[in-house]
Amino acid sequence: MIKRIIFILLIATTNCFAQHYKTYDWKENPKLHDLTSTELKLASVGILEKYIVEYEKSMFSQDLNSYETTHTITRVNNEKGISRHNTVYVPMRDVKKVIDIKARTINADGKIMLLNNDNIKEVNNVEEYGDFKIFAIEGVEKNSEIEVLYTVEKEYDMHGTETLQSNYFIKEAQFLFITGDLNAKVKAYRTETAFETTTVEGKLAKLLTLKDLPAMIEEEYATPNANKIAVVFQCTPKDQKITQEMFWNNVVTNVGGKFFLEETSPLVKTDIENLTNDKEDLTTFEKASLIDNFIKSNFTIVKNNNAELTDLEYILKNRTSSDFGILKVYAHFLKALDIEYEIVVTANRFTYKFDPDFFTPNMLRDFLIYLPTEEKYIAPDRLEYRVGEAPFQILGNYGLFIAESFEYYFSKIIQSDPNYSRIVRNTDITFNEDMESVSLKQYQEHTGHWAVTSKAILSLSTEQGIKEYEDYLTSSGIEDKVVKSFETENADMNSLKYNLPFITRCTITSEALLEEAGDSYIFQIGKVIGTQSELYQEIERVNPIEMTYPNQYDYDIKIHIPKGYTAEGLEVLNIDKSFKSVTGEKICKFESSYKLEGNTIVITIQEFYKSNEYDVIRYDEFRSVINAASDFNKTSILFKAIE
Amino acid sequence: MSRALIMLLFPVIVFAQDFSKEDYIYLKRHEHIKIGLSKNSFDISKQISEQAEYLTAKKLYFANESLGFDSFTSVEDINAYTFLPSLNKTIKVDYIETKREFDNGIFYSDQESKDFTFPAITKGAITNLNYKEVIKDPRFLGLFRFGTYVPTKSVKLSIEFPKNVEIGYIDFNTEDISIDFKKETLNKNNVYTWTVNNIKGFQGEENSEEVLYYLPHIIVYIKNYEIKGKTHNVLNDVSDLYKWYVSLVKQIDVKSLDKVYAIADDIVKTHTTKHEKAEAIFNWVQDNITYVAFEDGLGGFIPRGAASVCDKRYGDCKDMANLLYEMLNHVGIESFRTWIGTRNRPYSYFEVPTPMVDNHMITAAIIENDTIFLDATDSFVPFGMPSAFTQTKEALLGLNPNNFQVIKVPIQEANKSVSDIASTFTLDNDTVKVSEKRTFSGYEKVDFITDYTYKKDDKTEEEFLNTTLALGNNKTNYNNIKIENFDNKTTPLVLSYDLTIDNYAKTVANKTYINLNIDRVLAKSKIDIEDRKYSKKIDNKFKKNYTTTFTIPEGYKVNHIPKDLYFDNPEYGYNITYIQKDNTIIQKKTIYINTLSVKNKDFQTWNDFIKSLIKAYKKSIIIEKNL
Repeated sequence: MIKRIIFILLIATTNCFAQHYKTYDWKENPKLHDLTSTELKLASVGILEKYIVEYEKSMFSQDLNSYETTHTITRVNNEKGISRHNTVYVPMRDVKKVIDIKARTINADGKIMLLNNDNIKEVNNVEEYGDFKIFAIEGVEKNSEIEVLYTVEKEYDMHGTETLQSNYFIKEAQFLFITGDLNAKVKAYRTETAFETTTVEGKLAKLLTLKDLPAMIEEEYATPNANKIAVVFQCTPKDQKITQEMFWNNVVTNVGGKFFLEETSPLVKTDIENLTNDKEDLTTFEKASLIDNFIKSNFTIVKNNNAELTDLEYILKNRTSSDFGILKVYAHFLKALDIEYEIVVTANRFTYKFDPDFFTPNMLRDFLIYLPTEEKYIAPDRLEYRVGEAPFQILGNYGLFIAESFEYYFSKIIQSDPNYSRIVRNTDITFNEDMESVSLKQYQEHTGHWAVTSKAILSLSTEQGIKEYEDYLTSSGIEDKVVKSFETENADMNSLKYNLPFITRCTITSEALLEEAGDSYIFQIGKVIGTQSELYQEIERVNPIEMTYPNQYDYDIKIHIPKGYTAEGLEVLNIDKSFKSVTGEKICKFESSYKLEGNTIVITIQEFYKSNEYDVIRYDEFRSVINAASDFNKTSILFKAIE
Repeated sequence: MSRALIMLLFPVIVFAQDFSKEDYIYLKRHEHIKIGLSKNSFDISKQISEQAEYLTAKKLYFANESLGFDSFTSVEDINAYTFLPSLNKTIKVDYIETKREFDNGIFYSDQESKDFTFPAITKGAITNLNYKEVIKDPRFLGLFRFGTYVPTKSVKLSIEFPKNVEIGYIDFNTEDISIDFKKETLNKNNVYTWTVNNIKGFQGEENSEEVLYYLPHIIVYIKNYEIKGKTHNVLNDVSDLYKWYVSLVKQIDVKSLDKVYAIADDIVKTHTTKHEKAEAIFNWVQDNITYVAFEDGLGGFIPRGAASVCDKRYGDCKDMANLLYEMLNHVGIESFRTWIGTRNRPYSYFEVPTPMVDNHMITAAIIENDTIFLDATDSFVPFGMPSAFTQTKEALLGLNPNNFQVIKVPIQEANKSVSDIASTFTLDNDTVKVSEKRTFSGYEKVDFITDYTYKKDDKTEEEFLNTTLALGNNKTNYNNIKIENFDNKTTPLVLSYDLTIDNYAKTVANKTYINLNIDRVLAKSKIDIEDRKYSKKIDNKFKKNYTTTFTIPEGYKVNHIPKDLYFDNPEYGYNITYIQKDNTIIQKKTIYINTLSVKNKDFQTWNDFIKSLIKAYKKSIIIEKNL
């Protein structure tokens, strides 16, 4: 310990202003690391993933200099591991200068191969991600270790984020934040481990060291990407102390100034006239819907670097906008029709969990418009949504709500109608006389997010996509089904009514549902409700439960027992699984039961998930409800010949 | 005069098509290729002119346009605008961006695109696009699609070329469309023009052949040119294509081949026969060279030096093919660099002597008069079998700088890709217990390992098997899962496990009903004849043999055993038999697929097969309690 202090002191005194990256290096003589037998069975293991962020006062400008170093050592154990790590993409967005990039491979025999830097390729303007330097790691075989170390100098940005967890196991992850005497804040999400304060090159620094980070696995009913352990940070010059509140106020002024208007632009006059068409007595909801329908039928949202895509005049002339610019069009239209609105700045919950306590602009990528009088949202850049509830990708995340007065508040984005999304399905089942085939007559009503998705796919998808979706709408999972007729109602995405149900009617026949057993028949009744998801959990559940959205199913199935047969083994149709909240109320359940009415079996099924979030410790109960539906899917009853 | 007449007549004779149900159609897609020749140098460009109409406001996303180019082409003089008939207004595209994309299959490519969005798109909008594509190499005239993903009212391809140039052309899938073709002479040039009116849209279907198998299209190419009485071939026939390939192969870096030879010597040192040596080398390349593709100008056609590939331990198809070529020849195994089009390309070298014909490179080794096709890009295919996606395709073997040979890669017969499934069933109340052993060979093994390696992800073995094999119902529990010979390439893989399937048997009074068909392979493969447009593609021939033994529990007797059933067709079929022996019922079942494609005319037969198979799957055995 004493040695270490002396060492630090030595460096501190001799090299007072040196940046850490100048002395930070990989080992001169690397050796393969020892791994446990479990680790050797994984496709790959992160041995070290270290991120160093350093800010320092610039000699020449008001801004700070910032340097970011990434250092990874990864063992690859098989082909999948190799293909996961043998290509490296270094993002160049906001990079001022590449200071150094190096990479090497240590193979199983300890042989070292260094990357030839001539093989680093530049790729510019890739999709929405900007520029990259890319290279393939050379000399990788099974059981090699890949080491990559690079440092870039970045344009000064007072905010930043770094994700520490990955989709593979990491033995040690480190985040080192060197800021000296500058104003700095750092925060870690989803870990109990605290930052330690330390000194690097004589400068104050914070270090977070995490050991044995589990792989963030893909799980159903979860948002794994948004749940990874990550850090966020801020750093400003010594004389600029900025509180979170000041950051938020800045956004509010900025956004508010753009989207709350003194008056509407004369450029929207014709559109407004065409839109309302002299209709009077329109409700606020109808007016808002007209606007939403009009914009989504006449404007295209584009992601590119054209700076004019936020300029109102340009947008209106070209009917083309960025996802941010389109808000201006909404603002002018809403103002013109005298509709009160708030602007909501939020995030996709599958990518980021919005944090009102720490301002990170990177997480503020999604915009909604809230209509407080209606308690409804408009999702300007989501083609499939119309005035109603918030898109399910946002649901449950926090948002920054900005009112016309520039007052703001944070609120969780919830559904005003808890029963928004439902599927009601009535099925009438008959058998033909020779007991060769089954006929299903079905009526379905989709509302809420179900209806949004159905309408969008049927309107926007390719022929193959539509075909697959029609299969889903007509009892998917009956392998040999023949769809005799299929029709839809209210399939138009544009509507002036709130949550207008999407309706389908179909007739299906199948032979596979009836299995022969001597002179009797086994009827695969369960398959009528379609393929159901099944949750397996041999590995401990990692992520808290998040539904895609709260929803409910109400199924009525009438089975007309064929003449000459009796129905047996009906007790399997009674299933009752539920999950109660702490107050004792059922918040999710699957319940099915049957009644015999003369020669008809009437099955009633209700399944619902009232809440969108469930605690991970109650995962087993949740799973039992989900799996109850798949249990029903496996049920069959017997038609026994009357002797 | 004759030209005007044709133009006048044309609209009358065209079969009118109704596109009113469409959201978006092309009014025209015209392409004019102009070839200039001065001395021995070509000057080639395409003038492209397109017009499209939005019949509804649903698919506004078609407003986003992307024009691709690479180091062999450039896109110039883009003039794009939207016309709004209702307002009689024209709005020009004023912003074009050069973009790149990351491609999963190709790590680095020189492919770029000019991207822009048509402005003011709404119902009724008409977009107009005109641009020039400069072709920098006379071998890359590309192909022209008469049809595309949406209908087109007017399609025209014309090619204008000097009289001393000879043009070749071949069209595909044009049986059902009417093409007007004419040859004209304009001053010093000849002009060929193909015109098609009112052609429907073509969109891909799942499990069908690649789009080029049914999309009407044409390939035009420069055969030769004549200067001062001397004919210079460009791509007159396959031998010219080969000559060009030879010129590329000559540019391969042959530095430090000694290093490669040393590795090869080391690999084969314990082997004596040519067969063993070749197998060892192939396995080494499969195991040690990871697939990473770079497509950079001619670098996309010239393999990288074998020594460099060995050092870097990565490469694409041509790099692996060349490395195999060097190693095999060094240890005395005659082998050749081999060009091939995968099953995605429907062409023959003798019909299409242009680089369009192929997209892949492998190595052919000759061992004891057998030609063995080696494709190390498929990490799991066993030595001796070609990669499944090259079966039936013509392979162009480069014998020496002057000679080549074209051989078809043979279809691998079903008995090379076999799954043997042996199961024993016992009954414990209504819970069924099954012990099962599956032995996979050939492509059956390749498929299992590929899925296990890349699709299993974070799933447990149990969940992986439950979702891929889908045995019984999804209440099936797997225990004692064992996998043997995973890495051993030539030995069949053995997968074994024990299953418990709750609620599977059904007991009513003293009778119990059990269905022995827990694996219902192919049950979901019925073809929807009414909607289906294109033939069904099958990756490889295979055979599955099941032997299922049910032990009759004590105190029970057999009440019913299903009748034997079969469907017998040379291309596909099955056979199921049941016998009772001592206290067991033994079901034997064979399912075979002996074709790589089910053509439209055979859909009914295929469905009869699937229907019959499902019917057979539905039959249960019944046992009865002794009273």
